[in-house]
Amino acid sequence: MVQTTWKAIAPVPTSQEFLDIVLSRTTRKTPTVIRSGFKISRIRAFYLRKVKFTQDTFTEKLQAILDGFPKLQDIHPFHKDLMNTLYDADHFRIALGQLSTAKHLIEQVCRDYVRLIKYAQSLFQCKQLKRAALGRMATITRRLKDPLLYLEQVRQHLGRLPGIDPNTRTLLICGYPNVGKSSFLRSITRADVDVQPYAFTTKSLFVGHFDYKYLRFQAIDTPGILDHPLEEMNTIEMQSITAIAHLKSVILYFMDLSEQCGYSVAAQVQLFHSIKPLFANKIVFVVVNKIDVVKPEDLDEESQKLIQTMLQGGEVEMLQLSCHTEQGISEVKNKACERLLAARVEQKLKTNRATDILNRIHVAQPIGGVTREAFIPDAVKERTKYDVNDPNRRKLEKDIEAEEGGAGVYNINLKKNYMLDNEEWKFDKVPEIFDGKNVYDFIDPDIESKLAALEAEEERLEAEGFYDEEESIEDDDEADIRVKAEFIREQKQLIRNAARSKKALKNRAVIPRQKMPKNISEMKNSLEKIGLDASTVVDRARSKSRGRSVANRSRATSEMGGDAEMRDISMHDISQMTLKERAKSRVRSQSNRREDGVTNEGARTKAEKIAKLNQKKMNRMARQGEADRHVSAALPKHLFSGKRTIGKTNRR
Amino acid sequence: MRIETCYFCSHPVYPSKGITFVRNDAKAFRFCRSKCHKNFKMKRNPRKLKWTKAFRKSANKEMVVDSTLSFAARRNVPTRYSRDLVATTLKAMQRVTEIQTKRERAFYKQRMTGNTANRRAADRKLVEENQHMLPEVRARLQQTEAELSDAEETMQEEAIAVAIPARQRQAKRQVQAGDAMDIE
Repeated sequence: MVQTTWKAIAPVPTSQEFLDIVLSRTTRKTPTVIRSGFKISRIRAFYLRKVKFTQDTFTEKLQAILDGFPKLQDIHPFHKDLMNTLYDADHFRIALGQLSTAKHLIEQVCRDYVRLIKYAQSLFQCKQLKRAALGRMATITRRLKDPLLYLEQVRQHLGRLPGIDPNTRTLLICGYPNVGKSSFLRSITRADVDVQPYAFTTKSLFVGHFDYKYLRFQAIDTPGILDHPLEEMNTIEMQSITAIAHLKSVILYFMDLSEQCGYSVAAQVQLFHSIKPLFANKIVFVVVNKIDVVKPEDLDEESQKLIQTMLQGGEVEMLQLSCHTEQGISEVKNKACERLLAARVEQKLKTNRATDILNRIHVAQPIGGVTREAFIPDAVKERTKYDVNDPNRRKLEKDIEAEEGGAGVYNINLKKNYMLDNEEWKFDKVPEIFDGKNVYDFIDPDIESKLAALEAEEERLEAEGFYDEEESIEDDDEADIRVKAEFIREQKQLIRNAARSKKALKNRAVIPRQKMPKNISEMKNSLEKIGLDASTVVDRARSKSRGRSVANRSRATSEMGGDAEMRDISMHDISQMTLKERAKSRVRSQSNRREDGVTNEGARTKAEKIAKLNQKKMNRMARQGEADRHVSAALPKHLFSGKRTIGKTNRR
Repeated sequence: MRIETCYFCSHPVYPSKGITFVRNDAKAFRFCRSKCHKNFKMKRNPRKLKWTKAFRKSANKEMVVDSTLSFAARRNVPTRYSRDLVATTLKAMQRVTEIQTKRERAFYKQRMTGNTANRRAADRKLVEENQHMLPEVRARLQQTEAELSDAEETMQEEAIAVAIPARQRQAKRQVQAGDAMDIE
């Protein structure tokens, strides 16, 4: 694809800017610190690098500029000629050539100085050589001042050129100045072209786009041409000539018969004839503008004859329009587009590609010349057209609504249109839920056969004894064991509970065993529960216990009648006993808990030692031991402060 | 109107009950109560919660494979209404339910076979190992012991009773003596 627009060319700096860019880049990207004490090879390398880097940057930048601009020999002849007219091809080429030469010169300078630096003996020498090299490069760049300026202007102008595609469908509008070319472009496209009542309003090519038959067309408005030899034409006119000469297009030659443009009809015809050689192989229309003022028929004979000379040969057609009244504009456009499309199709058909495609197209036909008609049901064919005035017309839902009381009163009954096997079923009420199940889930056309299968399966299962239940009867022995096991389980659970409650006590103060209230009846009960005969024990305990109150005592003694010794003691009045006596009495005597449960002194010391040893670890780990008492806070903060959201006051 | 099943616990959800969650891919989740809804929001797996049908089914606690279970299904083929068909369907529904309950009972029985034997074995073992905890045995033990060594026991008891006080008396005396010494 040949390039048609050059909007993306990078800006071209002026020579001073160019120099600044390159030199600052060198300082930025190369090392800056060097000392005379360094090895000479290192110093040389340092300056060599500077020089080479500068040259590289110069080359790179210049090459970028050279590549950015179009090569005149590579682009379309139209653009080439256009550039020639606008920027002068020689000038352009020379400018680029100067850049290229400068590039080579800089490379040469670099090579020379690199060679010299290789033999430099000191830092100072190296530095001077580098300075000389960069100085020469700068001088060469400074000489590029003019070409760079010129190229920058060209770049700016190129970027603003209209994007004319030389190969697409094109309408080209040409003619004398002020005959209405730009008005026509304005009226057929969206292009915003300046239209003014003086000559040479349009000074360059303008492009507008429009669609015809869903195809994109471009219309090119050219500046006006005056009738004089090519050599005398100025840049503005030459642009028109370039466009006419190089673009494959429909040419619309605009004429103004009213002579409001300031040029006579004869002059306009003369111009047509003089540029006629450029119209070879092109479709040409003569478009007469401003027919609201003067029509071709209104002209005098002489002028009519002149116009006829243009139309000789039959290839040139005359069209009429008026941009002012918009009469005939679309006809002109359509006619031109039509002709252009036809010409292009014809041209394409001549190429090999078109025949390839034609060969591949195949339209299938039914075998044996059978005609396949569209199928229309009889009901549709027989249907009469609905007519409001016909008394036998079909009854519509709308009519029923009107009969039944109109909108808002009548409610349409959708059930009447149900298509069921039996008419009576239409208004049945069907249960949706039955026995907690969805009826619709069970509805199945072949439910009967399924149910029959299930029944058969059921019978088979019953016959096989699937539902027979084996009752295992438990005999006396087993029942006994079960009762015993239950008893044992219960006992075990009680033991477990007791242990748990004991554990729950933790380190809290425990009432000493002696102080715990325990009465004989409890002991008796528990002994009886585990199946022991408690009577002897109870009797013995009663006999040993301290006397009760006087009234009870007398009762007790009468019960125990036979025990003489017992009576003796009990008869002795306790109230008469001194405190000392009481303290010494056998009944109140305490066993020494240290000696309880050990046989002799040795065993006791041993037990104490073991107890100490056991406590040792607890103490070392600072664990809570038996002797530690924990007093929790009386009002734990977390239980008594704050709002209650979840939970309770004492369980949070 | 239809009875949906809870997405989480498979409980039937009657019209107007429960809550429905519609995910942004248009899948609707029906929940029978807030418990199921909350558990769903916590991303719990119904198969791992014992109280759901999903668990019971995956853990073989309920009848899963049976011909009666294939009667109720959402058929995506629309059937045109027929009075006869609906009548037979209603009858069939009752019969199918009947058979289904019967089979479920049989399934339960099947599942529970062997439990009695196991329990009895466990009972026997427990009783064997814990004979001492039975009241009669204790009583019997004590009785026999009492009969066998009646006289000996009484003798011994007396001896001990005499011995302990004697020792205590001695200790007391020593202490008193010590005190006296100090005074002196």
